[in-house]
Amino acid sequence: MSISEATAKEHANDPAVLCCRAEEGTVLTSHNLEDPAIFDDLVDSGLLNLDGCLKIGQVIGAALKKTCDSLTPLTVDTIDQIQETQDNSNDSIPSSAASDSANLTAPIKNGTLKISIGQGTDIHIELPLGSISSDAEPETKLLRCLTRNHYKITEVKRGPKTMIDGTTLTIREGIEADAIASQELVHDLKIDIITPDMYHTYSETILDVQPIATKEGHDLVGTGTTRVLDGVVMMVTGTDDNGVQIGEFGSSEGYLDENIMWGRPGAPDQGEIFIKTQVTIKAGTNMERPGPLAAHAATDIITEEIRQALKKVADDALIVDTQTFEQYRRPGKKKVVVVKEIMGQGAMHDNLLLPLEPVGILGAKPNVDLGNVPVMVSPLEVLDGCIHALTCIGPASKEMSRHYFREPLVLETLFDPELDLCGVLLVGSPQINAEKFYVSRRVGMTCEAMEVDGAFVTTEGFGNNHIDFASHIEQIGMRDIAVVGLSFCAKQGALVVGNKYMTHMVDNNKSEGGIENEVLANNTLCHEDAIRAIAMLKAQMSGSSVKPAERKWNPDIKKNNIELISNVTGKPIVPVENETSLPMSQKRKEKYS
Amino acid sequence: MTYVQFCHFLYASVYFILSLTKRMGAAKTLVVFTVFNTDAGYSHIPGGFDSHMLPPKKKEFCPMKYNILLKQHIGVPCKAVAAAGNPVLPGTLIATPSGLGAPIHSSVKGTVCEITDTSIIIDGEASDAFLPLKETDAYQLLGDAGIVGMGGAGFPTAVKCSVDLKGGYVLVNAAECEPLLEHNMKQIREQTAKTIAGLKLVMQLCHAGQGVFAIKAKHHDEIATLNKYLKKEEHISIHLLPDLYPMGEERAVVREVLGTLLAPTELPSAADAIVMNVETLLRIAEAVYEKRPCISKHVSVAGKLKGGTHTRVFMDVPLGTTAGSLIERAGGIDGDYGEIIMGGPFTGHAVTLDTPVTKTTGGIIVTAPLEDLNGAKLGLLLCACGGNETRMKDLAAKMNGEVVCIQKCKQAMDIKGTLKCENPGNCPGQAQKCLNFKKEGCTDILIGNCSDCTNTVMGSAPKLGLNVHHQTDHIFDTVGLERMRYLKQSKMVSEEPSTYHIEQTVNNGILTIDIKEGKDIHIDLPL
Repeated sequence: MSISEATAKEHANDPAVLCCRAEEGTVLTSHNLEDPAIFDDLVDSGLLNLDGCLKIGQVIGAALKKTCDSLTPLTVDTIDQIQETQDNSNDSIPSSAASDSANLTAPIKNGTLKISIGQGTDIHIELPLGSISSDAEPETKLLRCLTRNHYKITEVKRGPKTMIDGTTLTIREGIEADAIASQELVHDLKIDIITPDMYHTYSETILDVQPIATKEGHDLVGTGTTRVLDGVVMMVTGTDDNGVQIGEFGSSEGYLDENIMWGRPGAPDQGEIFIKTQVTIKAGTNMERPGPLAAHAATDIITEEIRQALKKVADDALIVDTQTFEQYRRPGKKKVVVVKEIMGQGAMHDNLLLPLEPVGILGAKPNVDLGNVPVMVSPLEVLDGCIHALTCIGPASKEMSRHYFREPLVLETLFDPELDLCGVLLVGSPQINAEKFYVSRRVGMTCEAMEVDGAFVTTEGFGNNHIDFASHIEQIGMRDIAVVGLSFCAKQGALVVGNKYMTHMVDNNKSEGGIENEVLANNTLCHEDAIRAIAMLKAQMSGSSVKPAERKWNPDIKKNNIELISNVTGKPIVPVENETSLPMSQKRKEKYS
Repeated sequence: MTYVQFCHFLYASVYFILSLTKRMGAAKTLVVFTVFNTDAGYSHIPGGFDSHMLPPKKKEFCPMKYNILLKQHIGVPCKAVAAAGNPVLPGTLIATPSGLGAPIHSSVKGTVCEITDTSIIIDGEASDAFLPLKETDAYQLLGDAGIVGMGGAGFPTAVKCSVDLKGGYVLVNAAECEPLLEHNMKQIREQTAKTIAGLKLVMQLCHAGQGVFAIKAKHHDEIATLNKYLKKEEHISIHLLPDLYPMGEERAVVREVLGTLLAPTELPSAADAIVMNVETLLRIAEAVYEKRPCISKHVSVAGKLKGGTHTRVFMDVPLGTTAGSLIERAGGIDGDYGEIIMGGPFTGHAVTLDTPVTKTTGGIIVTAPLEDLNGAKLGLLLCACGGNETRMKDLAAKMNGEVVCIQKCKQAMDIKGTLKCENPGNCPGQAQKCLNFKKEGCTDILIGNCSDCTNTVMGSAPKLGLNVHHQTDHIFDTVGLERMRYLKQSKMVSEEPSTYHIEQTVNNGILTIDIKEGKDIHIDLPL
């Protein structure tokens, strides 16, 4: 459709195409030109070929040499004279005049800045006041610390009592009955201890991967000391009475070694032992909220008993590693926030926020019940397991509980001395559009109140949640806050909605074909995505531009960006592997190859 | 002296007398009237005022029921003042306005047989004689005669003429824009003097300085006739319009003639102008000079008729005549038909055979059966130029299309429930709309767009695999016109040369030239 003068100015360097028939002699204005926003669609549909097409700035004011029909790209042959664009007119200043205009002196004497200009046009001077005299860096302020003490486990076995003895974890025999009894909807629960030699074992769909960790004393999640077991994770799997996968809508059931993308923040690492529960819930509850929650709660009976055992470990010599996370305010640095969109559609999509124990259940509130409104947490709370994830659909792009425990973007931003990470804003993704906009407007208002310079918006999954993902970015962008979006998109998850603030986007895709291939955590946010997002946000906050991506998904863009970043930082980045490093499962062969 | 020579003599007299009356005031208008009777098509009333009640020379209309609607115009319906059983003559007042509106008179001689909520039904027969209006003041006569805009808008003319144009323009809408309608052109050819007299009356009433006939350049005969009559009319000129749809939209006329594009919410008075349909001018002349109330309408009838699909024009059809009886007079429907459309192909709507003619009826078109789309997924492109949403949905249903997507032209503004085009006849681009139709899964689209927009739709829709249907297709097919698709002629028309009034003065050796307005001005000064 025809464009306004303002739009024409904005798009002065975009191709000039007639929107409608225009007759010979017509002096072209913006009203004769088609909106460049739809050119991609037109080119795709074969309606338009932009080869040799002049730019909008070159044709406005020119006269048509012949009558042309709608969607005619304007070329040198169709108009009488190419109009000088503003940029060109600056270039065309004769050299002698240019040297005169360069004759500018600005000496500072006796504290007075004097500027004298002999001759010139379009002079623009910006002087930051106040910052000239003081060059002292504002001091950073330590807000809080989190210490993680790691205890190594090399063997998991069953025995009469749940206990940790050296590097051996024993789980009480018969604990299954307690777990089953704790939940009305749980009809059966089986524990498998999967050691590396058993990775080629069939498993029902993986509902969650959880770290086994506990707080010391009365420490709250996100502060103080956390004890965490290395070499072992909890894994929740299950079906309903009829054998239907919990959250069957794209699930990761199959041989474990063919369906887990090792080493992703949310996935198990190679060599780890899985304490895998296989929970059978009441028939038909697999796609409703209480069903999956019951599977998680029953599993947590076991985890909790291990936590209690871990609390009793008295020998500090068993600590194999200690990590300390410090959260600073860095006044004077660019203030940024990480907005994490988490699932909140109800049914199987929920997250338990802020439990008493890392990735626990007790004390937590489901974000669906909180109305999915934004909840501000500290980066250390995220890294200490303040999110117990109840996500199912689309295993490749969903964030497991363990993901938050090792969240790469939070870690990178937390440790970046150039950024002042003020917090992590968790916002649920409701089912209904009206609610999506309700929560995204709160996100915008919160960012405005925090006066942040920049924001990251991340999401998990794709499709429906992209509506609020886009709206979050819009709400932040419209407040003149720099914003970078991170999501799985590629081919299958291509954005269905968009707005003018979605200009800085990072694709979390790792899969070869750009698809959700049901390999656990394959397309989730990794270190290589975090650093690209940070580089983009820094570029945006400093006013430099990021080139628009090509219209069609092209994995080379990511490669180039990673290369650019490692060239600048001098730190080589090896992209993580994808599903091609795994043995090919039958399902993948049939469905995705 | 031959007849033609006699007419020329009379024309000369008209001008002479008109110029005299102008100086002497309205009192002398009676003299003018007798001369006006020489206009062809008006000669059946012999003599002067006293002969009104004489029976007509030839009887075209047989005794039948006439259904005179109480709503003949925009505004609120009138209230009946006649009662069942009352005898009426053409010109008997039968309904009065109960708000913004205009009185309604009987169009025939006969008896009121029934009064319903919506109409007055008269059992009667047409008669060319009529009961004259009593008022003498010209402005009062416009109101008493019940004249409303006869181009289709139906705005009460007396209200429109109450504006003081302070030397501005009366623009005569002679675009006759809708295809197949021909009654306006016939009127210009045959009732020229009376039409011009009507224009001059309006110019007087509204204090206009200039009158302009806006007419399509293709109407050579009508333009020649007008030119002949306008030779000595300093303040009346002709503006030529291209043969496009829509040129007759009120704001399009203002834009084409005066170069001012009005906002959809603005009235022509914002450009110091009013726009009058040619037939309205005729009825004004009749009301003032003959004291004839507005009781008849010129109507074009075309389509699937016995004897050919060409247009038949019926002059002075009594209001209340049914579409069916006019179709019968035109030869009758030829076999199967699709729709009876009242109005033009673009803005008309489907009616039944017993729908009556009103003060705003222009055309009656019988169409061939509509195309069957066999349940195709259909997109509707709504705009101000074509049918409204109800009409488009009506057509979609009749064509057996499943409406899956409705888009509205970017330039169509919703003004109090009616779509108005921001710049009639100048396309704002439609490629995005076509892409949207495609995305919504349409295989076919139904449009009612103007020439320019239709051309733009054709620039993208067929390449996207969308079958384009225009709401005028079944009508144009019926009469053998090429379907509305691509725009082949220019939107620009070269105007006939006119003289500009330029003031120039030389004072103390300095030449001053003042040009109020103009285009392509060349000044050569030998120095």
